[in-house]
Amino acid sequence: MSFIQFEGVEREYIVGDSVIKAVKEVSFSLEDKSFNVVLGQSGAGKTTVLNMLGGMDSPTKGAITVNGEDISKLGTRELTTYRRDKIGFVFQFYNLVPNLTALENVQLAEEICKNPLDAAEMLERVGLGDRKNNFPGQMSGGEQQRVSIARALAKNPQILLCDEPTGALDSGTGRIVLKLIRDIARDMGKTVVVVTHNAPIAEMADTVIHMRDGQISEIRHTEHPRPVEEIVW
Amino acid sequence: MVKGALIKKSIQDMKKNRSQFLSIFIMAALAIGISVGLDTIWTTIDAHSQNFYQDTNISDFWVAASNPSELNLWRVRNIKGVQKAEKRFTVNNATARIDGKPILRVYAVPSENTLDMSLIMSGKKLSKHGAILDRSFAQANHLSVGDPLTIEVNDKRIDTTIEALALSSENIYAVKDTASMMPDPKGYGFIVIDEDRIASAYGGRKPYNQIEVRLAQGADAAEIQSRMDSIFGKKLNFVMAQTDNRGVNFANAKVIQFRSFATVFPFMFFLVTALITFSTMMRLTEDQRNQIGILKALGYSKKSILWHYTSYGVFVGMAGILVGILFGPNVIGRLLLSKIKNLMTFPVEDMVINISKFLFGASIIMTFTAGISFLSCLKLQNEAPAELLRTKMPKKGRHIFLEHFPHVWNHMKFSQKLTARNAMRNKFRIVVSILGVSGCAGLIIGALALFDLVSGIPKTLYEKTYSYDQKVILDSDTTDRAIRNLNLDGIVQDMEESSVQLTTQEGLRKVTAVSVFSKESPLIHLKDAEGNSVTLPDTGIAMTRKLAELMNVEVGDIVNLKRSSDTYYPVTIMKIVYMPSAQGIYMTDGYWQEIGENFRPTALLVQWNKKDNDFLNSGYITSYTDRTTQKSDFEGNLSAIFGTSLLLIVSGTVLAFVVLYNMGMLNFAERVRDLATLEVLGFHQKEIRPLVLTENIVSTVVGIFLGIPIGKYLAGTIAGGFGDDFDLISRVTPDRILIAAAITLTFAAIVNHIVRKKIKSIDMLQALKSVE
Ligand SMILES: Nc1ncnc2c1ncn2[C@@H]1O[C@H](COP(=O)(O)OP(=O)(O)OP(=O)(O)O)[C@@H](O)[C@H]1O
Ligand SMILES: [Mg+2]
Repeated sequence: MSFIQFEGVEREYIVGDSVIKAVKEVSFSLEDKSFNVVLGQSGAGKTTVLNMLGGMDSPTKGAITVNGEDISKLGTRELTTYRRDKIGFVFQFYNLVPNLTALENVQLAEEICKNPLDAAEMLERVGLGDRKNNFPGQMSGGEQQRVSIARALAKNPQILLCDEPTGALDSGTGRIVLKLIRDIARDMGKTVVVVTHNAPIAEMADTVIHMRDGQISEIRHTEHPRPVEEIVW
Repeated sequence: MVKGALIKKSIQDMKKNRSQFLSIFIMAALAIGISVGLDTIWTTIDAHSQNFYQDTNISDFWVAASNPSELNLWRVRNIKGVQKAEKRFTVNNATARIDGKPILRVYAVPSENTLDMSLIMSGKKLSKHGAILDRSFAQANHLSVGDPLTIEVNDKRIDTTIEALALSSENIYAVKDTASMMPDPKGYGFIVIDEDRIASAYGGRKPYNQIEVRLAQGADAAEIQSRMDSIFGKKLNFVMAQTDNRGVNFANAKVIQFRSFATVFPFMFFLVTALITFSTMMRLTEDQRNQIGILKALGYSKKSILWHYTSYGVFVGMAGILVGILFGPNVIGRLLLSKIKNLMTFPVEDMVINISKFLFGASIIMTFTAGISFLSCLKLQNEAPAELLRTKMPKKGRHIFLEHFPHVWNHMKFSQKLTARNAMRNKFRIVVSILGVSGCAGLIIGALALFDLVSGIPKTLYEKTYSYDQKVILDSDTTDRAIRNLNLDGIVQDMEESSVQLTTQEGLRKVTAVSVFSKESPLIHLKDAEGNSVTLPDTGIAMTRKLAELMNVEVGDIVNLKRSSDTYYPVTIMKIVYMPSAQGIYMTDGYWQEIGENFRPTALLVQWNKKDNDFLNSGYITSYTDRTTQKSDFEGNLSAIFGTSLLLIVSGTVLAFVVLYNMGMLNFAERVRDLATLEVLGFHQKEIRPLVLTENIVSTVVGIFLGIPIGKYLAGTIAGGFGDDFDLISRVTPDRILIAAAITLTFAAIVNHIVRKKIKSIDMLQALKSVE
């Protein structure tokens, strides 16, 4: 059994009288400590899949197994605990708490995790050791995204989920951020899922899932993913 | 199309922010409703009584004198500043020969008189043989125009026919004697007959005992009144100013009281409404930053955008004002006025609304609803659309003072740090919220204090000061010897109650109540303001505190007392006593006789061992009341004020809830993103709740503490605004503060519960989707 397993997962939204199937009959499996990319056009259902995997949303049908545990039937409280212990999230818009400094934002992880990593050290690793006491408002988008990565990883999660982490960044900065995610995750042995509609990123992934209209159109495994530096944007 | 789109947007925006709009609406409606409602009470009483006085040509003062001569009258008329002086005869204790033998006050007037006319409501003008009868009395006793009525005056019968039913401005508050507080139209009323009709009861000679005086504009009333001594000499009993007439005095007191309530309390409502509306409207417009940018970029004109946002405030404000102006007079006004109409007779029923005050209040509301939304939108208008549309950088965090103390700061949990920083960033809104809460807490404390003030008066009088079972009004023929011979089984205290005129050394004169009884006084327990017992001095008088204050005298001062059959006698104020209501002077029967008066008991106080019904039905007495009846009558007399205090407690409570709710919602709205972020990270509900709830709780608690002095101030102001008859000491007791605190905290808890539910229902995905 794979580390992450989706089996016939569906997610419906009821809007007024109509039912929108955001995700239909999706099945796939991902290995532990792998680096994965989900690709697809806007509205394809990528975010929905990622959210369900991250325990922020539950499927209306099907099963999602993570490390042998079926998370699709969990209640709100258990899902919170699941997110707390297992998941690190990185968003397109960073979602830092504006009234906490960079360090404090990362320290949030320390308050809730069983074996968190040192916040200051994580900031060093993302190259922001000297910006510890800055507030998010005083940093650039790329810097904020790095704080957000440090925060996600400081929780020492098993899975790191990134929803268009470079969406709000220019390509150069985006590449630095992606490389950071890739490198740290590999060093620390994390399973990573990155959602994007930027096809070139896929070249550095172990597994690439293509989505269209809520369904998986293609799954491709690569034996030797290319390093970030070589990718042409 | 363009217009339609904006209107649709307005409706959407209002739906989205309905709780804010609803709270502004409620606050505006309350402020206007309370203000106009309370104003309606006094403006109605004031307008009706003033019109009534004018229509009936009420005198400026009355001179009570025994058998004044034509020369006396002529001399009064010739005083410069006297416009008119007329004579008449009044007798207070005639009886009507109908069931229950009700008491009538008889006015026997010359047909050419023009002052103190009764206002005829039905029937015709008075003829030589007819009578004008008190309309309320007639209705209560089922008498009507055309009916014959026989009255008994001076033990003689006078037969008349009722020619008209009327109202009298002198009897606007018609109570029979000093022992009664509630008008009893079945047992007491007035009747007007021609002077010729009364003569038969007095041996064929027309008697007179009153001169009615109307002054010219600007005449010096005090100076003219002081001339009465030399004109009437020994015949003078007293001079009574219009404002000392019990009815006029009562109407004035109600006007003064409600004017004070209508100033003090609405002020708090407006203040709180202004504060909360201000912070809410600011916030709502600030939220619309992006929207304004979009509208501008789409090419909407500056004017239409401004109007679009101003219209929110206009609609909410107008809706509140409209409901307030409907609710205030029609609910509050009607409810409270109905309690006053039990006590007073007015010729008209309609309510008089204080338009200018309403317009003033309405403009305050509009300034803070429409004005604020207009201004904050105008501020954004000056920015370029691109600027407005730009993804707004996260609001800048800032280090705060507390961080200079690492010992404290480093040991705080993140939620505490965050709460502290948030609080510092939103100082303005929090200060406004705290002030809002303190205003409400103060309002509730003040309203409770008002309740205590009014309920304290009858309690002090009829539970502490008096301990008799019954107060018996004696027939004027009954002597103290006759009573002693009756050997009543119980504790008995006789007393003489009348009114005397006092003049201070500075020339201030006042007709005031005097009570005369023995020094032992087993059933009247006089006290000073601190509650210590006071016994009557052997020589000199005791004066109530308020009267001393009004006459600007103190212990040791000498005032001249006008004796009934002689000139003035100087008496020394030996003691000051405290009476919450009914001010006057007290002296012993011994001293009363020493200054040359006869002690003729008018009332008998009895605490029965065995109630003597024979005595109570005997000819010795004219009437009697139980102390418990007096107490409940007194309470009935103040029922409009009780109603007011209940109304204010309820509306203060509603206001507190709205303020707290609004505060909680604003605070929540500002925190949604932080909460969602933390929730995604895996924080449990109970870990993130404090972010919002702590601030609410702290603001509420601080607000309550600040509300205590506000409440005390309100209570003090109200206590001082009851008029000359009342001497109230405002006491805000700890339990009142506790009640106010409990009400406020309960609401804070309810609001927190609602916020808790809202936190739970945050859709973290939605909350994090967009940038602010
Ligand atoms: N809360 C919701 N209510 C209704 N429909 C939703 C909701 N969330 C998503 N959808 C719908 O589900 C579908 C998939 O949405 P999803 O956000 O997963 O797309 P995506 O692949 O992440 O797109 P993008 O690249 O634009 O972010 C879309 O058609 C969207 O409209
Ligand atoms: Mg998406």
